[in-house]
Amino acid sequence: MKIKSILIANRGEIAIRIIRTAREMGIKSYVIKTNKEPNAWYLEEADEIIDFSETINDTLPDFLDMEKIISNAKKRKVDSIHPGYGFLAENPDFARRCEEEGIIFIGPSHDAIYRMGNKTIAKELAKAHDVPLLGGSAGSVRDPEEAIEIARKVGFPIILKAAAGGGGRGMRVVEKEKDMERMFTLATNEAAKAFNNPDVFIEKFVREPRHIEFQILADKHGNVVHLGERECSVQRKHQKLLEESPSPALDKALRKKMGDAAIRIAKSVNYYSAGTVEFLLDDKNHFSFMEMNTRIQVEHPVTEMVTGIDLIEQMILIAQGEKLAFAQKDIKLNGWAIEWRINAEDVQSGFSPSLGTIEKISWPQDDHIRVDTGVRDGSVITPYYDSMIAKLIVHGEDREKALQRSSLAIRKFWIKGTKTTLAFCRAVLQNKNFRKGTFNTSFLSKELKLHYHHEPDEAMLAAFFATYDYAREFDENEEKSLHVKKGKEISPWVLNKRLS
Amino acid sequence: MAREPKKKTQSKLIALSSTNKVYEFKTPLEKRINYKGEKVDIKLREDPNGFSYIVWKNKKYMLDVIEKNQNKYTVMINGVWHSFSVETPVSLKRRRFLEQQGDTSSSVAIEAPMPGKIIDILVEEGADVKEGEPIIILEAMKMQNEILCHVSGIVKSVEVKKGDSVMKDDVMIDIQRA
Repeated sequence: MKIKSILIANRGEIAIRIIRTAREMGIKSYVIKTNKEPNAWYLEEADEIIDFSETINDTLPDFLDMEKIISNAKKRKVDSIHPGYGFLAENPDFARRCEEEGIIFIGPSHDAIYRMGNKTIAKELAKAHDVPLLGGSAGSVRDPEEAIEIARKVGFPIILKAAAGGGGRGMRVVEKEKDMERMFTLATNEAAKAFNNPDVFIEKFVREPRHIEFQILADKHGNVVHLGERECSVQRKHQKLLEESPSPALDKALRKKMGDAAIRIAKSVNYYSAGTVEFLLDDKNHFSFMEMNTRIQVEHPVTEMVTGIDLIEQMILIAQGEKLAFAQKDIKLNGWAIEWRINAEDVQSGFSPSLGTIEKISWPQDDHIRVDTGVRDGSVITPYYDSMIAKLIVHGEDREKALQRSSLAIRKFWIKGTKTTLAFCRAVLQNKNFRKGTFNTSFLSKELKLHYHHEPDEAMLAAFFATYDYAREFDENEEKSLHVKKGKEISPWVLNKRLS
Repeated sequence: MAREPKKKTQSKLIALSSTNKVYEFKTPLEKRINYKGEKVDIKLREDPNGFSYIVWKNKKYMLDVIEKNQNKYTVMINGVWHSFSVETPVSLKRRRFLEQQGDTSSSVAIEAPMPGKIIDILVEEGADVKEGEPIIILEAMKMQNEILCHVSGIVKSVEVKKGDSVMKDDVMIDIQRA
């Protein structure tokens, strides 16, 4: 059945990203308006708005209210639902409820979501299909005492992970036995809060691995391909900050080995739609299966840039029941792509969230640059959602070229009104080992000493501006010109109209 | 008739950075300044889209004012913020004197590093705490963050309770330095 309309159960940049492809395919898009951000940009981009902002539901956030979303889709006779990432994207009940109500869920089957979402089942499947795994608990762990018992067998350090988790939440590394009780409580609390399920399991913690993931596309007819890997090792507390494709760590042989393993994982649950298989890669190039993400990923654009394949379009075609139009041999990785996540965070204060209003945002535009964003001039950064403002994706013929273009693009990426991670991006680009491609997940904590970059003159220029502005205002108030020469003003320019 | 300011005290302004770096500028301010032995022009500009920038040695530096309160400034240049207080030679002297006086106080406030919600308080009033010890769990942007104590001492007072929402820089706990 050809899809004619999509309800996007998401917001921000990913809603706009899905709308863009829907529009190209002639599909009508619906989005949900919430009282958290009633003026958000994604609302204007969609063809139709479903208004949830009238009713305030404190117990269940709008994008998690599956019955309300489904009943609204039915009322408007919307064919299909795309969940984006986060929210209901990996909730098997939501996929099942869509199927029951005759709405096409643009994603995998509820059964595949369930089995890959349950880390214990996923690991058993990996084991049964000859995919390498790390040692750890057989299932979820009851209490700190049991955790200590297992950790002694596996050997410290270990990592506690939310059984229903993902995205770094509910994860804690435990180095010593005496830290177990505290870390166990933190991990279970966070898991309960984030995933409604406090279960955690134990895994051997690999020190300083790389995080490599493979993009999978599979149709409903048993065809599965991989679209190469993404290098996601630059992370802070398991939150990715930039991703690239391909990875500087892989050669053709290793890519084939890991890609084949990823395909075996997908086949083990009769997977269809887009999905991602995550691996850890140690310094001896041994890889172990971590988990499969059964959704579109934030970092999907780097894969699109090197393969030329629109992943959202493929998800829609697969959901319609079409066969993949290409086989593994047709997939070519062309050049290099890097995605820089630009978050509203204060990198000078430990990446703490920086709320406020994006007064202005602009970036350089050319054929090698793609920017996916959900904000524009005047957009408000709310505390209700994550801190990502934009993704800057840069392509080059090779890694060096992609890095050069990234430096230029970051320099010309201007945001006024909030602190962002742009200064962090500059620091990464200055780092020798990053440029060489020799880095792993310890990059931020060990390699990158200073998490932001500035040149010596910049501090002086800031000091000059502060002094100038103070002097000008002082003179204005006192109707004197003690500090700034009258008629010889540096510019007629009044920056601080907006400031009180 | 306006009195002429005393030349010695008003002839310069000082930007004192949060890391205690001193930047001195002669007044009245001019667009050409002496910097590391050379005379260089500073140009302030605004582009058609309303972005402000400085031109310095033929390079553009993106400029934004994040905070401004009397003589306190946080200015962002190319995405990195710098905090200053702008002082006259007299006010700087006074400030330095007051800071010395203040040093005898041994109470240290543990402030919220980010806005969030207090999930748990791990210490009680009167408890001994060591530097690096977790004292509060603060939830912000969907993450539970351990707030570590940055001094050793005794908990003098706990200013928050479980479930409280805090803003950045709110005092959560006072520690009597050991």
